[in-house]
Amino acid sequence: MTSRAEFLRSVRREMAETRGLFDAPPVPRPADAGQAAEVVRRQMLERWPQALERFREEFERVTGVFHRVANMDEVPGVIGRIAGDRQAKSVLSWHPEALGLDLRASLGAEGLSVTVAPEGDPDGATRAMHRDAAARAEIGVTGVDWALSETGTLVLVSGRGRPRSTSLLPATHVAVFGRDRLVESLEQMGLMLEALHADPALSMSGAVINFITGPSRTADIELTLTRGVHGPKEVHAIFVDAR
Amino acid sequence: MSDARLRTPFPERAHAALEDAHLQEALGIATTKFIGLRRESFAGFPEGEALRDRARAIKEGTLQQLDRHLERLADSIERLGGHVHWAATGEEARDIVLRLCRDKGVRMAVKSKSMATEEIELNDALEAAGVKPVETDLGEYIIQLAHEKPSHIIAPAIHKTKGQVADLFSKELGGRFEADPEVLTAVARKELRQKFLDADMGITGANFAVAETGTIVLVTNEGNGRMVTSLPRIHVAVMGMEKVIPTMTDLMVFLAILARSATGQKLSSYTTLVRGPRQPGETEGPEELHLILMDNGRTRQIAGTLREALYCLRCGACLNVCPVYRQIGGHAYGHTYPGPIGILLTAMLKGAASVKDLAHASSLCGACKDVCPVRIDIPRMLVDLREQLDREKIAPWPERMVFRLARRIMTSPALFRLGASLGRVAQRPFVRNGRVRGLPLFFGKWTRTRDLPPVASRTFSERWKDLERP
Repeated sequence: MTSRAEFLRSVRREMAETRGLFDAPPVPRPADAGQAAEVVRRQMLERWPQALERFREEFERVTGVFHRVANMDEVPGVIGRIAGDRQAKSVLSWHPEALGLDLRASLGAEGLSVTVAPEGDPDGATRAMHRDAAARAEIGVTGVDWALSETGTLVLVSGRGRPRSTSLLPATHVAVFGRDRLVESLEQMGLMLEALHADPALSMSGAVINFITGPSRTADIELTLTRGVHGPKEVHAIFVDAR
Repeated sequence: MSDARLRTPFPERAHAALEDAHLQEALGIATTKFIGLRRESFAGFPEGEALRDRARAIKEGTLQQLDRHLERLADSIERLGGHVHWAATGEEARDIVLRLCRDKGVRMAVKSKSMATEEIELNDALEAAGVKPVETDLGEYIIQLAHEKPSHIIAPAIHKTKGQVADLFSKELGGRFEADPEVLTAVARKELRQKFLDADMGITGANFAVAETGTIVLVTNEGNGRMVTSLPRIHVAVMGMEKVIPTMTDLMVFLAILARSATGQKLSSYTTLVRGPRQPGETEGPEELHLILMDNGRTRQIAGTLREALYCLRCGACLNVCPVYRQIGGHAYGHTYPGPIGILLTAMLKGAASVKDLAHASSLCGACKDVCPVRIDIPRMLVDLREQLDREKIAPWPERMVFRLARRIMTSPALFRLGASLGRVAQRPFVRNGRVRGLPLFFGKWTRTRDLPPVASRTFSERWKDLERP
């Protein structure tokens, strides 16, 4: 077996043979990522209405369904209607703490079965149970860490009470967010991710960050676009004004 | 399987492809569509050109400090609780996966599309070891069921019709399925969903790996990359070591141009950033994460003529625009990586001798370089490769003789003049309507599909002399 030292030695031997093809200085990046991210956040306090409009446009372009409500109390109603239209019976949700909303009472009253993600440090049995529920659920409800307007993308960080499969296994994904989540460009997104990784408290919070741009799709058979090949067939975004 | 295909010489493989009417049609439709989608996407994206320059500079800059970035990547992955393996050859990479399967009692592995694992023919090795590999990208799943190989880097099954897929599914999965992409996709969804839940191991490649944060990045449209990194208890990523990039800021530059170049999307449906195995408090995710960093001929090219090929993002854009690929498709190339970049990657992995025919399967038109998101100078490297084949006496001797003769003549004014006079006489029987058509002997191979301009009745230098006299 090749050791790390051996592998790197042969790389270095070849590197010593050449200066490279051209001068290629690194891409400039902010000295303080946290501060740069804070500047973006402050800019967005003013710019969010344009960013939201752009997000809606791009999100709909990738066949996302956009909803807008005044406050969190109206969210269960929207989810209830989505479920009703699809004759769905089971809803899977991030933990209320992570989502900012407990759907059990409201949607339970409408006859839907609601499973929420476990909180804290779930043991093996709890995790297996949740996985079974996730595999059966028809609608998955998540929050959003960033809504990227340039591309209509929802960015979700996994972690405590925020399982990665909620936005993956159910045929319909519903994401709920407010104005503080909007960013405009991939470049800004890069700053946010630099800041996330620079903060030791956050950088170990969850193992996966997903950029979700529309539903799961394929064109592998005769280039015919088909949705929902493995992941959701539909993606909904609920924007909450007062959040 | 690729060895069996290689027993047929390249010209015959190419001819077979040219005579396959269905393949011709499918290739025409697919490549034209991809070209249009890419063009549209960049047309509305003026900053794209500057981003391509930046992406190119990041790749070159990373190679200039490759050892440091690889060390940093390995340290970051280990800090997150992952394991890093170093594989000098493809065989070694395969052995590492097989050993992991054995040690962890793996019986089934689900795979998300990965050219790196195609490169090392991992599926055959897994099957031989009693592990069932299941390809989960729809295109790859189709060709796995059909026991074929991918024909395009990002659309592996473009050579198959929906009718063929319906027959294949009906036969392999039991049932009678309609030749409707919607129906067939639903069949695959159901079939593969259970496989994701049952598998012990998820195997992926990596589109990028961010050294500073230890992040493995997977770009998919179907979501299978998410499935295989979320559900099985072990995640193994096999990655060519040149996929490392320094920072998250750099990653954003590549994301902005990768999907646009491949499918014309702004971003693919899913970009998945994996940093380590399941973290404390998480409900899901693998218990173990293994990253296999693979050399397999790459290191040799750091100071070699194919260095630029190490920038490649595997987007497939150069295939779609290549006049040769558009005619013969991926299979005729006979190796894992088809198209113009595929010739260079094959030479990198298997040595220059393996592409002695393929090195000429290019008109050097430069369309590939124009669309490459990192502006890889593919035509230049193809010429270098031809030169190397000549220098190392790998090219057939008549070819080498002809070029040697040509050089001798073209570098001597006296011989050149003599050659022109002889040519003028010799060509007489073959000139029709001002073109040379249909040369005799083996020269006829050239004129079978092409005309040549004849030697002029008076050459430029002869006319120049007249002009010099006032």
